[in-house]
Formats: sequence, structure tokens, C-alpha cells
Amino acid sequence: MNRLSLAVSGAIARVTEAALGPYQTAVVRIGFSATWLLFLLRELPHRHELYGPDGPWSFDLAQQLVGSNGSFTVLMWSDGRVWFEIVYALAVLSSALLMLGWRTRTMSVLFMVGVLSLQNRSVFMGDGGDNVLHLMSIYLVFTRCAQVWSLDAGRAARERAVRARGERVTDRTGPVLWGVLGLVLVAVTLAGRMQGDGLIPALLWTVWVVLGVWWLVGRRARTREPRIMLDVVANIVHNGALLVIMAEACLIYATAGWYKIQGSRWQDGTAVYYPLHLECFSPWPGLADLLSASGTMVMLVTYGTVLVQVAFPFTLFNRRVKNVLLAVMMTEHAVIAVVLGLPFFSLAMIAADAVFLPTGFLRRLGDRAARARDRLPRRGGRAPVPGQRAHESPETTP
Amino acid sequence: MDAYDEGSNARHGPDAPSRPTPPTRQDVPVDRPGEPRTGIAALSLRYQVGVALALAVVAIGVCVHLGMTFLHVAPANTVTRAHGDAVDDWIYPEFEQNWKLFAPNPLQQNISIQVRAGVRGPDGMTSVTGWYDLSAEDGRAIDGNLLPSHTQQNELRRAWDFYVATHDGENRPVGLRGALSESYLRRIMVLRLHDDDAVRAATGGAGVIERVQVRSRTSNVPPPEWSREKVSMTPSYRELPWWRVPQDEAEGGMR
Repeated sequence: MNRLSLAVSGAIARVTEAALGPYQTAVVRIGFSATWLLFLLRELPHRHELYGPDGPWSFDLAQQLVGSNGSFTVLMWSDGRVWFEIVYALAVLSSALLMLGWRTRTMSVLFMVGVLSLQNRSVFMGDGGDNVLHLMSIYLVFTRCAQVWSLDAGRAARERAVRARGERVTDRTGPVLWGVLGLVLVAVTLAGRMQGDGLIPALLWTVWVVLGVWWLVGRRARTREPRIMLDVVANIVHNGALLVIMAEACLIYATAGWYKIQGSRWQDGTAVYYPLHLECFSPWPGLADLLSASGTMVMLVTYGTVLVQVAFPFTLFNRRVKNVLLAVMMTEHAVIAVVLGLPFFSLAMIAADAVFLPTGFLRRLGDRAARARDRLPRRGGRAPVPGQRAHESPETTP
Repeated sequence: MDAYDEGSNARHGPDAPSRPTPPTRQDVPVDRPGEPRTGIAALSLRYQVGVALALAVVAIGVCVHLGMTFLHVAPANTVTRAHGDAVDDWIYPEFEQNWKLFAPNPLQQNISIQVRAGVRGPDGMTSVTGWYDLSAEDGRAIDGNLLPSHTQQNELRRAWDFYVATHDGENRPVGLRGALSESYLRRIMVLRLHDDDAVRAATGGAGVIERVQVRSRTSNVPPPEWSREKVSMTPSYRELPWWRVPQDEAEGGMR
């Protein structure tokens, strides 16, 4: 009994005292925002056909479907072409800024709005990669994903240095951003545009209110307690979301694996041959023929795929086996990106896998990236962020 | 992930300091020294109750969400038969997901969507074009392409899946979605025909598309050379009725 209560209090201490997995959540943030950014840039010439008001899935058709399922999309607020271009541009901008980690909580919300708006506008354009992005864009809003590798972390470090000198830090950008977005929220709500399912509008309002409270408490609270409590609650929410992200990745693999077991082609070891020979998934027919030249090889890959997908969630209990399988799965996705012509699906899956990467590996990766960046000739004469590890300090924003 | 890093450290007990600690606020020089460190220990009972409440809400929220998501992706079962509506209420619209990737069996047929059009020329004469294989065009566009577009890879394929899923064998639409899928497919056809140089050549560039007809050509992927399987190589066709194209669409109202 005593050991149980010790374990429980230990667990509570862990999930309250820190936002766990700072490197993992940062790499997930960078991975998904980069995937969406690259996708949006790739589809720039096709954006009207995919999501525009006059595309084949016309505004009118989308309105009927959205009206029946209540999904969230700001693109239904107007059928104007200018509005569409604004939304697309904001989606690009917010994903770039989320990747850099600038005002990360706000950007994660705008990123989610961009992803949901475009995807829900034209649901029949997406594939599995879009589906992963859709879910993760919502989950990311709940995480403190800019503790490392972000502009916010750098800013927090500088602010701490200023405070340590006994000076005051005044932030103008934050309140302005908050005020503008608040005006938009109020206007949109009063105009009655927040129709359909209430989940996303409620989330938008909640984040906005919390950010306001956070700022107020940081400036006005007479004791430190309210601030500490907000910090602890933010940690709890982050850790919950991190668990959901990890469980979601496991569910993806488990579902993909267990349903495959039931298929005759996965049983007789020929399954992998078929997608390689479908017109829409074979950008390199010669390569596909080469890969499927040997029946034994195809069978090994077929069985291996099922094995890895089914086994992955269970390997989480063993660090070493987990890392081996993770490497295998990331490699397989990299191969799928080229061979089946699914680059953005693969990138999204690799980003989801990255939540399981070991901290040591990620830190080495970060150091190497930082060194590569420092070796670059600097333009504009901006001095590097002071302090070797300055970029690793935790953020002090929500 | 810390949750795993624990794996190698857990046996040292909860106080083991060996774990490379992630940056937490403790590492940071505190504003004023001598103050209690952050964490629930620093809070009075009132605030601790608040934290406990938040912890409970998040824990319950996470458990319910994961449970609902699990039931959503799991096959139909005893629980979903009894509480399917509750699961759907939770999942739709934003948490819908489908991970049956190439499962239970990968698609083993190439489904080509083909279209022909009834065109009225500038002289008022009407004519019918030959069949255009749009899927083959997409296939060629994807060949050697490191970054295939969703317009080449998903648009036609998923529009056809949508049509098939919302129509019966006699091509009668089922519900609102059936009607939507018909308009969608028709609009894709007109858009593609407008883009097609061959069509423009056939109509002298001035023709108006009055009606379109869609058909699908389904052919088995030839079995691998090393297998002794034999499948029929004769394609099968599903021909949809002619659809009249509304005037505003026909005049290139799209894009």
C-alpha cells in the first residue's frame, strides 16, 4: 500500500513539475508544420482546384456537406476569391511561424485553423497524411512545444537575462496579437459565423481567454502562487496531450497492422507487390519492378511490414527494441515517400514517429544543427544567441 | 521520450538523479534567490485543490478521448453496437480517422476513369468526342514525379470512390451525398475536358460542352511473374448515364 501511494505521488510529481518530452514535442511541432508548409507550397499552383470557391468541389457543394456534418472551416465564411487567398496565405504564414516557434501557442491555434479550414473545405482531396495532420494540429494546441528549438525559447532566455539585471521586460507584440485575434473572434461570433459543431469555436475561445489570464496573472498577481498554478496546469495539459499524441501514433500502427493480418494478400505474402503496380502509386515503374522482382523479397517485406506495425505499440516497454523498430519504420516511410509517390503522407508519419525518438539522439541532432547554423556565413550581422545552451531554456509563456 | 527514458532508470528508484533531466524551471536562475521552487509543493491548499481538479479533468479527458478513438477505429463490436452513437458524437466531425492503409487487402485493380463529351460547335452542329482516359493522364503526370499533387493522385480516385459509395448498382443516388457526388464528378470532368488540349483541338477551341458521360474501366493488376496465379485480363466497364452540363459550368465558370 505504501509503495502504491509512493508510486502515485511520484507520478503526480512528474506530470505536474515539468512539461515532459521538450525535445520530442519540439520535433513533432517542427515536423508537422514543415510538412503542411511544404504541402501548401507544392500545391500553390493547384490551390484553386483543391480548395478554391470555384474548384470542382465548389463552394455550394462544400456548403451543403459542411452544413450536414458541422465541421469547422473559415473558408465557408465567404465565397470570395480574396478571402480564399487570405486564408491560404495565413495558413502558409502560420505554419512557417509555428515551425520557427514564434509566439508558439498562438501560432499553433492559427495553424490548426488553417489545417482544418482547408481540409474540411474539400474533404475528398485528402489522404492518410492529411488525416494525421488534421488530428495532430488539434493536439499540438495543448502542448508546450516550444521549450527548445524555437524563437520563443530564445526570447524567454533573453528576458530572463534582462530580469536578472533587475530591469523590466515589456512585451508589446503579445498583447497586440492577442487584441487583434480577440477582435476577430468577437466579430466572427457576433456575426453568427461560428456555426456547426461547437468544439473548435470553444477551443478558440478557451485559448484566447487563458492567454489573457496568463498575461494578467504574470503582471498583476500579488503572490507567486497563481502563476505557479497556471504553470503546473499548463504542464498537466501538455503531458496529457503528449500522451494522446503517442497513443494516437500507436493506434495508427495497431489499426494498420491488425486489419492487414485479416487480408489474404498479406497472408500469402504478395500484398506489397500490388500498390507498386497501381497507376496512381507508381511514379517509378522500373524501380517498382526491380523491388518486386523476387517473390521471396516481396514476402519478407510484406510479413515484415505487418510484424513491425503490430509489434510497435508493445515494444514501447523496451527502449532498445523500440528504437530499432522506430528506425525501421522511419526508413520504410522514407522509401514509401519515393516509391509510392506519397511524400507528404510519409513526412507526416515520420513526424508522428518522431515523438518516440530518444532524448539523447534529439539533443545530438540539435547540437549538430546548431553547429551547422553557426558555420553559415552570417548576413545582416545578427549575433548568435548568447550562451551555448540558451536555446534549450524553457519558455515562460503558456 | 522521457516516458521511455524512465525504462532504463526506473529500477534505480524515483529519486535517481542519473536521468538527463529535460530543462525545467529548476535549472533556471530564479528571479530572487531563497524563494521556494516551483511545483505543487510551493502552493497553499487552495491552489493545490485547483491543481488536483485540473489533473482529474485532464486525466478523465485523455482516457475518454483515447477510449472513444479506440472504439472508432476498432471493428464493430459489442460495445459499439450498444454505444455507437456516443462514440460518433465524440469523434465526428473533427476526430474522424481511417487507418486501414492498404488493408485488409491492397487494391488489386487499376480503376481508370474515362469521359467523353457531347459538344456543340460554333456552327451549331453537335458531336460526340472519343473517350479520354483521365486516370491514365494522371498516371503519366505522376511518372518520375517526386512530388505528385493531390490533384493528380487523389482528386479523381476519391471522387469516384465517393460516387460508388453513394450510388446503388443502377446509378441511383442515395441521399444528399449521392447528389453531391454526382455534381462533383461532373464538375471534375468539365474542368479536365477544358484543360485537355485534345478536346480543344477536336472542338476547334470554340465548342461548348453540353453533356458528359463517365465510365470506369476496371482491370486486374497482372499477377507477379513469380506467382502461378491466373487472373482475367479482360477489363470490365461501368458506364454512367449522360449528364447535362449546366450552361455556366460549360462556359468555363470554373477557375
